[in-house]
Amino acid sequence: MTRLYLPSLLLAAYAGVPLVLGGDAYVMSLIDAALVIGGIALAWALLGNLGGMVSFGHSAFVGVGGYVSALLTARAGLPVPAGLLLGGVGAVLAAVVMLPVLRLRGPYFALAILAYAHIFRILATEWTSVTGGAAGVSGVPPLPVIAGIDFGGKTGAYFVILTIVCVFAWIYARVSASHYGLALRAMHDSEDATQVLGVNSTLLKAAMLLLSAFMTGVVGAFNAHYIGFLEPDYAFAGLWVTLPIVAAIFGGYRTIGGPLLGAIVVYLLDQLVFKSLISSGHQLILGALLVVMIVFSPRGLLPLLTRRRERDA
Amino acid sequence: MQRILGTALAGLLAAMSAHAEEFTVGAELPLTGSLARVGAGMQEGIMVAAEVFNRTNGKHRMKIATVDDESSPAKAIAAVEKLASDGAVAITGGYGSNNIAPASDAANKLGLVYITSGGVDENLVTAGRKHFFRINNTAGYEKAALGLFADMKVKSVSIVHSTKDATSSLAQSVQKALAAKGVKVTSHAFDPAMTDFKPVINKIRLQDRPDAVFMVGYENDYVGILRAARVLKPQVKAMVGVWSLATPKMAAEFPDLMPNVYGTALLPFPAKFTSADGRAFADTYKALYKKEPDYLGQFGYVQSMLLFEAIARAADKGTIRKGGIAEELRRTDRETLIGRVQFGANGDNVNFSHRMGQHQGKNIVIVWPPQHATGKMAYPAVPW
Repeated sequence: MTRLYLPSLLLAAYAGVPLVLGGDAYVMSLIDAALVIGGIALAWALLGNLGGMVSFGHSAFVGVGGYVSALLTARAGLPVPAGLLLGGVGAVLAAVVMLPVLRLRGPYFALAILAYAHIFRILATEWTSVTGGAAGVSGVPPLPVIAGIDFGGKTGAYFVILTIVCVFAWIYARVSASHYGLALRAMHDSEDATQVLGVNSTLLKAAMLLLSAFMTGVVGAFNAHYIGFLEPDYAFAGLWVTLPIVAAIFGGYRTIGGPLLGAIVVYLLDQLVFKSLISSGHQLILGALLVVMIVFSPRGLLPLLTRRRERDA
Repeated sequence: MQRILGTALAGLLAAMSAHAEEFTVGAELPLTGSLARVGAGMQEGIMVAAEVFNRTNGKHRMKIATVDDESSPAKAIAAVEKLASDGAVAITGGYGSNNIAPASDAANKLGLVYITSGGVDENLVTAGRKHFFRINNTAGYEKAALGLFADMKVKSVSIVHSTKDATSSLAQSVQKALAAKGVKVTSHAFDPAMTDFKPVINKIRLQDRPDAVFMVGYENDYVGILRAARVLKPQVKAMVGVWSLATPKMAAEFPDLMPNVYGTALLPFPAKFTSADGRAFADTYKALYKKEPDYLGQFGYVQSMLLFEAIARAADKGTIRKGGIAEELRRTDRETLIGRVQFGANGDNVNFSHRMGQHQGKNIVIVWPPQHATGKMAYPAVPW
């Protein structure tokens, strides 16, 4: 039964969603935006779950990824798919600069990485000759048409972001299942004890930070091409940290599917249901729902659903 | 004969009423998030325009469907998609160039007209969006500031500006234009998060010693700069700003900071409307919202009224679904509450020029341009 679960889910995602909702550009645009949040939430949760690091600075990777891809495609004429990958590489380079903060733990790490995000935002604002300064980068090329499929459209973009997210979830699963994943989880309980056993914890944490940054950078790059416009305040906005954290915790950040499920449920419930009930101020209901979820199922929605399914079975 | 005439008249009336339609116009606005205040102000103007149009047009009716874009670009795209799926024939609204650019792109792809007064980024009108229209622009603010400085005959100006897009762009344009006229200009950029302006004002006081300080920012920035200036008292002859400064709200909330300060303003306070359009706007605004109209409402009103009129004309010609609304907007040439409006090929209002007001007592007096002045400027004069 479980073996059929994932293929069925993928079939529904790749075929069912476009067939049923492909004609509704509004709903598809919300799903695209939800998957962007989901992708960042997944990368954030990877760092938290496998690296034991709570980051408040993922907006730096979103911004750097977006800017690198936008500038390379809009100014240097690189194809958009290459821009997406290079956006990830740009975010990795940004993360390399952040490596000294790995010496810190807990709230100190979280605050230091937040400061880095702020630095990158100021760089994007002040480095006018490259980034366009506060005016930002306009005319960011949309996702291309390949083999007659317009990936710049809502359904085309859905396939792209869905594939990005699925590939990242698979990478996350492979890392988690490897002996590196085992060592990282062990570090969660006691980093000192793991070091005594010969595990280079700093190297592993650095690797997770770079991997998480790469994932976030690619998603940030996708978003830049999807929106078509980038400016420092938006590219490095706090919402790229808060929303993914909310989504990851709501869905279950210790699981691979939890952050994605959380992003989709939180975003779509808020935009499709709560917003239709209260057009302005609907976030109140979302806040209440989050409180209820954290109180009754601190491990998140996915673990709650899995437990119920196991109990029913 | 009378029977024939009666039958013909009845037929004509029936045909006319068959063509009278109600059109849904989408309003995509930031009603929550960082732009909520300005979004709400623009929405008031849109609703007033719909009320006035429906009361006076007599044939077609406009129904406003509003979607909150939550000050977010992704949600602005979704809002336009939703409004289109709900049958909107055009979009009015939008605030912030980063929200307007993607939203107007989405509208452009759907073939919907998008009209706004909420973004001054040049790219909005240079990126080739065929259905985009804008009633204001940086050039209009620049004209007003330069006109005022020319009347003051200033020899030196210190510009204090936020590093945000619209503010940097305006500050740079004014700096360039003043320098070209031989005015000595020094520029001080500040991060939008900055709250203590004493170091900047101290530098201006001791180093620049200008005739005037030109502030290009937003409400909180003005308050910070003026507070610092009130403490340090630089020897300047005028404190000049732009948007959101010469408003009754600022006069009421900061009575110690605002005296003699200049800012862009279309209306004096108390507002005086002489045209029929102006009176209809003001009366309806007061009836709906129980307060004096402000500039945000005025811009929202003008952009929406022009759009409604274009929709009505396109409906009469049967070209609504054939690009007729954009065509009719391009033909627009009329006096409005913000002056004469004509759209260029890129959708920008070629005539836009702002006015400068000055806080004098509890009033706001229009002091530039001379043909719209409601009083004389107090110069030299500062708040302290």
